[in-house]
Amino acid sequence: MSCAPVLLGTIPYALVLGAQATQKGLSTVELSMMTGLNFAGGSEFAAIQLWTSPPHILLIVAITFLVNSRHLLMGAALAPFLRELSRRKVFPALFFMCDESWALGLADAKQRAAAGIAPAFSPRYYIGAALAMYLTWVSFTTLGALLGPMLGDVETYGFDMAFPAVFLVLMRGMWKGVAAARPWLVSLVVAALVYLFVPGAWYVAAGAVAGLVAAWLMAGDA
Amino acid sequence: MIDAPTLFAIVLMAGVTYLTRIGGYVVLRNRVLSVRATAVMEAAPGCVLISVIAPAFVSRNPADLLALAITLVAATRLSMLPTVVIGVASAGLLRHLIG
Repeated sequence: MSCAPVLLGTIPYALVLGAQATQKGLSTVELSMMTGLNFAGGSEFAAIQLWTSPPHILLIVAITFLVNSRHLLMGAALAPFLRELSRRKVFPALFFMCDESWALGLADAKQRAAAGIAPAFSPRYYIGAALAMYLTWVSFTTLGALLGPMLGDVETYGFDMAFPAVFLVLMRGMWKGVAAARPWLVSLVVAALVYLFVPGAWYVAAGAVAGLVAAWLMAGDA
Repeated sequence: MIDAPTLFAIVLMAGVTYLTRIGGYVVLRNRVLSVRATAVMEAAPGCVLISVIAPAFVSRNPADLLALAITLVAATRLSMLPTVVIGVASAGLLRHLIG
């Protein structure tokens, strides 16, 4: 099946997330709930990185929204292919829309449309890919949480570097050229300065907002 | 096992994420977004991710900075697993060697 390499690729990433979550004090049940109910890896990595006990709820929710705001564009791109489906089917199907299932489902629909097959969107193909992703994600993050406590203190072995590694690979996947990446640089510089000079976790919000303002202003040049 | 503030945070995260998943279908499907709005939405995930890891870029530990540079180069060329392995191994090793 076409999604096998995608599934294999998410396994190490899921294990790392689960292991890091237990280091931040989440129980295995809590972590499984997070990955099962939220099911959006990028936002879960960001949330775990910022997790404190008790969690800073407003910060976590705002960051989750910003990381997942790309779903808005993804859903809009998929919408024309969902016209023939009833809302009763679309709303549950959209719960399972992640980067991988979206990309596979959309590519399949475009291929079928080009071949003249109607309807172009195959709910069976999409749900098959999406459920495989879902089960892989939830089970391997849970496994990571079960194995996490055996690893001991993460910083001694350099496991904390897994976060920047995962984030940088995710960002490479979003790369659309130097011009489009300029807001990221603004975010980096502002977040780093705020981190150095302002106590607390304000650096994330400050960096994100500065980058978004930069994106807004720079879009005028294009 | 399940702590109330943690549960609350997780449920809110899940709710907000589901809204982003149905929002595009419900609100944006018959609309044309402005160039600026599209640019902001496309930049948003990267802006947040880089902001979260920004502290690593201004670490006072030279071993961490060197490991981050190695990880950055790996991330531009390799897939997830090798990049994570290289990042973790270089951080562990360099901290041991340089301190």
